[in-house]
Amino acid sequence: MAALDDCYNIFDLREAAKRRLPKGLFEFVDRASEDHLAVADNRTAFTDVKLRHKSLVNVSGRSTKTTLFGKEIAFPMAIAPTGAAGLCWYRGELALAKAAAKAGIPLTLSTASMTAMETIASEAGGRLWFQLYVWRRRDLSYQIIERAKAAGYEALIVTVDSAVSGNREYNSRNGFALPFNPSRKFLMDVAAHPGWLLGVMGRYLATIGMPAHENYPAEFQGKLTSGIAGRRPEMKVDSLNWEDIATFRKMWPGILMLKGVNRVDDALKALNYGVDGLIVSNHGGRNMDSAAATLRVLPEIADAVGDKTTIILDSGVRRGSDIVKALALGAKAVLTGRATLYGTAVGGEAGAAKAIGILKTEMDKTMAYTGYNRTDEISSDCFFGGLGANSRSV
Amino acid sequence: MSALDDCYNIFDLRDAAKRKLPKAMFEFVDRSTEDEVALRNNRAAFERIKLRHRSLVDVSGRSTKTMLFGKEISAPMAIAPTGAAGLCWYEGELELAKAAAKMKIPFTLATGAMTSMEKIAKEANFRLWFQLYVWKQRELSYQLIERAKNNGFEALIVTTDTIVPPNREYNAKNGLNLPFSPTPRFTMDIMQRPGWFINVLMKYLTTIGMPRNENYPEPYRRVIGQDTFAREVMRQDSLNWDDVKIFRDKWPGILMLKGINRVDDALKAVSAGVDGIVVSNHGGRNMDSAAATIDMLPEIAEAVGDKITVLLDSGIRRGSDIVKAVARGAKCVLTGRATLYGTAVGGEAGANKAINIIQTEMNKTMAYTGCNRVDEITTDIFFADRESNRMAGV
Repeated sequence: MAALDDCYNIFDLREAAKRRLPKGLFEFVDRASEDHLAVADNRTAFTDVKLRHKSLVNVSGRSTKTTLFGKEIAFPMAIAPTGAAGLCWYRGELALAKAAAKAGIPLTLSTASMTAMETIASEAGGRLWFQLYVWRRRDLSYQIIERAKAAGYEALIVTVDSAVSGNREYNSRNGFALPFNPSRKFLMDVAAHPGWLLGVMGRYLATIGMPAHENYPAEFQGKLTSGIAGRRPEMKVDSLNWEDIATFRKMWPGILMLKGVNRVDDALKALNYGVDGLIVSNHGGRNMDSAAATLRVLPEIADAVGDKTTIILDSGVRRGSDIVKALALGAKAVLTGRATLYGTAVGGEAGAAKAIGILKTEMDKTMAYTGYNRTDEISSDCFFGGLGANSRSV
Repeated sequence: MSALDDCYNIFDLRDAAKRKLPKAMFEFVDRSTEDEVALRNNRAAFERIKLRHRSLVDVSGRSTKTMLFGKEISAPMAIAPTGAAGLCWYEGELELAKAAAKMKIPFTLATGAMTSMEKIAKEANFRLWFQLYVWKQRELSYQLIERAKNNGFEALIVTTDTIVPPNREYNAKNGLNLPFSPTPRFTMDIMQRPGWFINVLMKYLTTIGMPRNENYPEPYRRVIGQDTFAREVMRQDSLNWDDVKIFRDKWPGILMLKGINRVDDALKAVSAGVDGIVVSNHGGRNMDSAAATIDMLPEIAEAVGDKITVLLDSGIRRGSDIVKAVARGAKCVLTGRATLYGTAVGGEAGANKAINIIQTEMNKTMAYTGCNRVDEITTDIFFADRESNRMAGV
């Protein structure tokens, strides 16, 4: 796996993924929305935070292990739900799930994924979470929730930041849409990437046929070529509201999380609805381009509800040091979307494992420099000058 | 209209306009003054404002509609007065006015336009506003006011920020003078855009002849290209508050002042009995040291927003910009370049596309931020940590 051997960080994996994937698919994964202000600021918020190392602490016994929802994980990270893993690699979700299980971190399967949740549960195992996009016909979502329960999923994550689809102009420009819409532009693009055509699409066609959205309700499980462009109208959920959360809470006995809670008032409300965890997220900058960086939003959410519920952060994690910074500001874990998808696109399970390993190693080194032996020791005490850009004005 | 089909945002329309127009024409529209600091800062100020999405609000019934001066419009935007629409497209002002009428937003005709107000009033009758540059011989301006009244224009907008002709060095470099004078450089430039030469200039020459400033008072209504002393007679450096009082007496309709950027001026405007003011730095085209309008807006809105209608222009390129302006107290924004680019690319269809893009983007931003109605938009949706507070001048 020569391509993987040349990758030493997530940005290398990104470059390798860019070479391998058709442009339409790579940009679907990699880009964000409109002018890409949010995705850029997500990164800037992390790189703005400067740390101080602590000298002469014996850190030979350090560990990245942490406890999340009462159980131990190898380090405070889980795989975010993403719809495209199955297009980045042949049965990519399964490859990613196996890598996560072996690495000892949770995996979130997306509503939009191409591998059935039952297949993931039986073939990959590990701690499995299911992400729910709500269908306009709520009864369809209830079916999915029952299915996840029956398949033994530990947590249900309801995405609450996607009232409308993101303004992702590049998808239209690339002739790329999910479900696939075989535009001439995209077919040309695919033809220029024979490795992907043979290694991913060819293998699907030779085995199970065109991939389908296997976690959609039965009546919508069309092949990826049979649908219309964009998110299905049945999945347009601009009517989603707190009453739905109350219903989900009644139906779901396991861990319930809301993904995309970036306001203190929303976070306080969530407590009243009995959710177990909140994910501070701007959807990787893929929805509202004016969105504030999640690392900047995190402190006030953590201050307000961090002692009553589990706070998780995503959007912009590309280095192990980012995880340390998020924990210092009150997150109990982070989710990675693109970072682990790049790995999956380059080398399937091995690539995903490499991405996870890179982040874990980087986190471990940062803990060593900052003098932390355990993740619960991590605090903003290691920050130079407070949160990020503040340090410039100090 | 394939050039239009490839445009997904205002920046795409700008690039397409750049390919279509002679360089001198494009730069006349696109550029601003001196070092273009004001132009860039207008954009940067919008981009610095970060928003928070609000989760779990049912926004399925949302609308961008709003009331302006007692009547409904489809979104809080109107077309700013610009002098060049008629040079971007054959009878471009009419095309733009028709698009505005169909989209149910007001259209402002500029004193410097090449289509007469009579023709606009006859063919594009939604809400029409007339923008006034004041002649040194005030009597000529009074004639124009009468003419606008007789043609049923709803509002008169007096531009108050163009005391002297701005320092637009690129026009001189490009050999462009408005009124036209056929310098060798500009002639060469036109030869490189045969499409524009045939579809715009030749169409004029074979129908109505060289376009004229049809709204100038009769003595000065010359073919553009001959009128070399119009600048002198339009000198506005004697314009003062006494003129506003006279205009107020003469104009029974809605009276607005465009380019009120100081609280003391705004208070004076209230005393003078105007109905609205436009916070504007003329798209950065006049004084290059001008502050960004979105940064100046809050203090103006706070001082007079409950007494008169405050509007904003300069820098609007995205629907989210409108949301930000409304949150800070503007009742409506004006778009100049954004809709001119569209007009240059596709006439009425292009203008329509530009308006549509901005309204769709605004609609999405409202959905994300949990606003169902325009009057629900407040700075409650702003994210302001200490750092961005300072940068955005909150």
